[in-house]
Amino acid sequence: MVRFKHRYLLCELVSDDPRCRLSLEDRVLDGLVRDTITRVHGTFGAAACSIGFAVRYLNAYTGVVLLRCRKDFYQLVWSALPFITYLENKGHRYPCFLNTLHVGGTIRTCQKFLIQYNRRQLLILLQNCPDEGERKAIRKSVTRSCLLEEEQGQEELSGSGSEEAALE
Amino acid sequence: MSNAKERKHAKKMRNQPTNVTLFSGFAANRSVKHYGGGGKPAQTQKPESRSGSAQQQESKVTHHSLRDPDVNEQSSSKVTFRKKGGWKAGPEGTSQEMPKYITASTFAQARAAEISAMLRAVTQKSSNSMVFQTLPRHMRRRAMSHNVKRLPQRLREIAQKEAEKTVHQKKEHSKNKCHKARRCHKNQMLEFNRRQKKNMWLETHIWHAKRFHMVKKWGYCLGERPTVKSHRACYRAMTNHCLLQDISYYCCLELKGKEEEILKALSRMCSIETGLTFAAVHCLSGKRQGSLMLYRANQYPREMLGPVTFIWKSERSAGGPAGSRQLWIWLHPTLREEILEEIKAACQCIEPIQSTICTPNSLLTPLQEKSQTGLPDEKIVTKRKRKDDGENAKPVKKVFGNRTRDAHQPCSWSSPATGIVVSDLTMEMNRYRLIGPLSHSVLTEALKAAAVHTGEEDTEKTPHSWWIETCRNPDDVSLHHRQEAIFEMLGGITSPAEIPAGTILGLTVGDPRINLPQKRFKALPDPEKCQDNERVRQLLMEGVPVECTHSFIWNQAICQSVTENKISDQDLNRMRSELLVPGSQLVLGPQESKIPILLIHQPGRVTGEDRRGWGSGWDVLLPKGWGMAFWIPFIYRGARVGGLKEGLVHSQYKRSPNIPGDFPDCPAGVLFAEEQAKNLLEKYKRRPPAKRPNYVKLGTLAPFCCPWGQLTRDWESREQTQGESCVASSPNSEVGDSGNGEGPRAAAPDKTLQFSAEEPREPEDMDTECQGQAGTQPVRDQDAALGGLCVVRERKLLKQLSSWCGPSSGGSWVPRRAPGRGQQDLTRETCLSILSRFPRALVWVSLSLLHKGSPEPYTMICVPTKEDLLHLSQDRFYCGPQESKHSDPFKSKLLKQKKEKRRRRQTASLEGQAGEEPAAGHEALTQGLWSGPLPTVTSHCSRLLLGFVTQGDFSMALGCGEALGFVSLTGLLDILSRQPARERGLVLLRPPASLQYRFARIAVEV
Repeated sequence: MVRFKHRYLLCELVSDDPRCRLSLEDRVLDGLVRDTITRVHGTFGAAACSIGFAVRYLNAYTGVVLLRCRKDFYQLVWSALPFITYLENKGHRYPCFLNTLHVGGTIRTCQKFLIQYNRRQLLILLQNCPDEGERKAIRKSVTRSCLLEEEQGQEELSGSGSEEAALE
Repeated sequence: MSNAKERKHAKKMRNQPTNVTLFSGFAANRSVKHYGGGGKPAQTQKPESRSGSAQQQESKVTHHSLRDPDVNEQSSSKVTFRKKGGWKAGPEGTSQEMPKYITASTFAQARAAEISAMLRAVTQKSSNSMVFQTLPRHMRRRAMSHNVKRLPQRLREIAQKEAEKTVHQKKEHSKNKCHKARRCHKNQMLEFNRRQKKNMWLETHIWHAKRFHMVKKWGYCLGERPTVKSHRACYRAMTNHCLLQDISYYCCLELKGKEEEILKALSRMCSIETGLTFAAVHCLSGKRQGSLMLYRANQYPREMLGPVTFIWKSERSAGGPAGSRQLWIWLHPTLREEILEEIKAACQCIEPIQSTICTPNSLLTPLQEKSQTGLPDEKIVTKRKRKDDGENAKPVKKVFGNRTRDAHQPCSWSSPATGIVVSDLTMEMNRYRLIGPLSHSVLTEALKAAAVHTGEEDTEKTPHSWWIETCRNPDDVSLHHRQEAIFEMLGGITSPAEIPAGTILGLTVGDPRINLPQKRFKALPDPEKCQDNERVRQLLMEGVPVECTHSFIWNQAICQSVTENKISDQDLNRMRSELLVPGSQLVLGPQESKIPILLIHQPGRVTGEDRRGWGSGWDVLLPKGWGMAFWIPFIYRGARVGGLKEGLVHSQYKRSPNIPGDFPDCPAGVLFAEEQAKNLLEKYKRRPPAKRPNYVKLGTLAPFCCPWGQLTRDWESREQTQGESCVASSPNSEVGDSGNGEGPRAAAPDKTLQFSAEEPREPEDMDTECQGQAGTQPVRDQDAALGGLCVVRERKLLKQLSSWCGPSSGGSWVPRRAPGRGQQDLTRETCLSILSRFPRALVWVSLSLLHKGSPEPYTMICVPTKEDLLHLSQDRFYCGPQESKHSDPFKSKLLKQKKEKRRRRQTASLEGQAGEEPAAGHEALTQGLWSGPLPTVTSHCSRLLLGFVTQGDFSMALGCGEALGFVSLTGLLDILSRQPARERGLVLLRPPASLQYRFARIAVEV
């Protein structure tokens, strides 16, 4: 098939300040990355990366961000990411940085990686948790994510909407 | 366009996770892309070099260390899932002050939610393709969609689900029998019998269904047109070769009784003025077939019922009951109900004959009952058979004849007073029509006269005892030989047009399947067969002698026995396979069936001057059950088969009116027109307004129907106003006519009803009549709906009109054709006297275009102005004037309606109600059609409207457009008297979807 080949950068926004998450939006992030590229790689870099650049997915709760760029210049984007140190929104500035988890050719591989990664995180969390109540809550979410996988299968079978999956 | 694109995109993104921000709670949208609350983008940030990978671990640690049991926070960042794919924060999550710390449980919840969203995205495919389509080509295998195991293991599960889904979507067909069982002969017969309960099948149905577009019409399943392109080929077949049609759907009514009684009863239903009646000498002797128009008793010229053809059985046996005759009336199925009722009323036949005990001639009744009751019996039998595995099940028989009729419904009626027995022989016989010059050859090749039975041996065994009986009688044998000789002679005659119209020939033929050729070929006439010039001349001059018209098909008992004793195709083929020399002639000897048939000559074009005798041919009447046995042999002799459309083409080239479309004054015709209008309107509405003609702008008031009633009424009122202006100058007897125009109509309330609902200008008394009539029976209403409309069928008047129509150059010889009649000149007096008799009449005319143009149905026939004719005389190639564009008065109304609709929808959506349809008060306007009552139809356009075309097409015979239609008699006389003698008969034609008028010459053909 003839298509534009992309690279998807799966990153994680890490910040000490939880309020940073508040300002995590795709517009803000888009501008931030573009500016950083301009700063680091100059006009050429900005122009080369601006084609096909987009924020494909963003989750403010987990801080996961999926960036898309063309395959030819993804290294310019990638190399510019460490230079992001602040996230600014509505006059607030929060120190943060982006941590690249995965570089994939399709969204799908990134999604698959993200599932694996999150599972690992949950397990680590479960192992390191001393508090019993917390432990219970974590276990619950772990089992839910596993259960969901099974439910997914059933849902697909029925082909109907996923109302059952919409847990509280 | 963009909407579809969006939908497609949405479908694709259905399972993809959406962005999740903390603001998505009140954005209430799946993504925050359009959320405009974002402040300035972070512009300048100091480059801080921190290695991300090193920081990662650190951040995790901070997360872990920062866990504090904070109930508030936990609730505030509660995560809820969106219904489709993504997930969003609860409304509480939008609280502006963010907590300082997060807990482990929140953290875990967020991760878990993300996992689920991702899982959904990964596992559910969002493309429209099947699973196996996602495989690369080299991994695809044959029949993957059928067999899951041909797929790679990892995809099998998904494919299985997919397959189940498609199975659900597929239409469930009865799975109680496997394909093989369904195709087995017995079950198939049962199924066929079931399927033809609602709409009758002809015997050639299966043959037709494989090759024709079938339509359900008039209670039958009929082939409309062949699936192959064959318009021209069928025309050629009619002109040069042979076209075959199955017209078994025509209904046959049988009248039995004393000749005088029948004639007396029927003479009230027809008029001598329209031509020959039932009592015509040739027809009455049984020598010829006659055709005439039936009217309601004593109602001529109004309340026409329809055209019929009839044959009398020849009076052969002088020894029989004196004067007892048999008459068959053949008619179109749409006319059947009306005519049957009327004939029953005329003959006073009220007593239905139920069973055999009444009269010996109603042999068909038990037969029919048998065929009716046969079906449930067989069903029971087969059910049992399925149980005990077919021990003593009687074989399912193909049912012949009328299957839709109720078993208890009588089909013959007798009259105690007149002694006439009327019976309905619908579907009791097959009728095939062969059209074209080669039909003789086809007939003589395909049919061989039955061998006369001579041997005395094994007379008991053969089932054809009736034939053996006949062969014992030397008179019958000699008659059979004479019939055979005449039939053989037909083979040498080049065209059926040479034979006197309506000739009847009876014959008894052998089984036509026996001498079926190996391959299909074209039968050609054999001139050697008519060497005997004297006898051929006699045949051509006088037709078949009366004795030879005798056929055993008139005898119901013999027909029944012939039907029952038919050797099945299977047996015949078996016998053929057992022949000693394969492919040699099969000789059955006395076992061979003998089938009585009747050949009826059909006259072709009988009117007009050119192409006389075009489209003539023969009709073959067969007893039921023998349909396919004769059908295939005919086709093997080179006959091409046509359907209903070809029948229409045939009648168009013959310039004869087509039943029932071209009989606007009979109830079937009115019904047909209504149906046609409905269909056309539906078809028109299916197109978007920009892609269909705006008939309002084109000035076409009635593109889908011909408002005959209004047309004639308009012309009548025009004539009246003219007449009143004339009255002052010439006080004549016509004053009374024009002045009292309303008088007789008011006296006859039945005829004053509106022609159709959309007619506007009705006098008040008519409207009141209309309301008063609302409760009467529908038949009457239909007749009344014609509004006193009638079609001129009086031959004398038509001849006169025909002579007036021609240009004066032809006027020198036209009177010669009718020398005896005093040919009147076209004067005002004669016109008025004609109009006094036919105030609202239509005339059947044929039109041929002078130059370009191909007319279509509903084309308007208009009156040319003086300037048009002047222009034409100056420029011979002047193709005609143009209608100026009309304005569309409905456009603003339509816009207003649309706006109102939109507003209402908006208010409805604001109120949150489901959009109820409030358009009850408004009649729905259709853009491009005249809505509401029609204005004066005659003077709506720049040229006066004279009539409408009902059939029209490019004529392959003439090489120019040709049309048939009706014009108002008043209008025709008006223009004929106005036009100068040299240009008499010139009119303009304008198709409904065009502004261009074309010149055409009008002709009344008698």
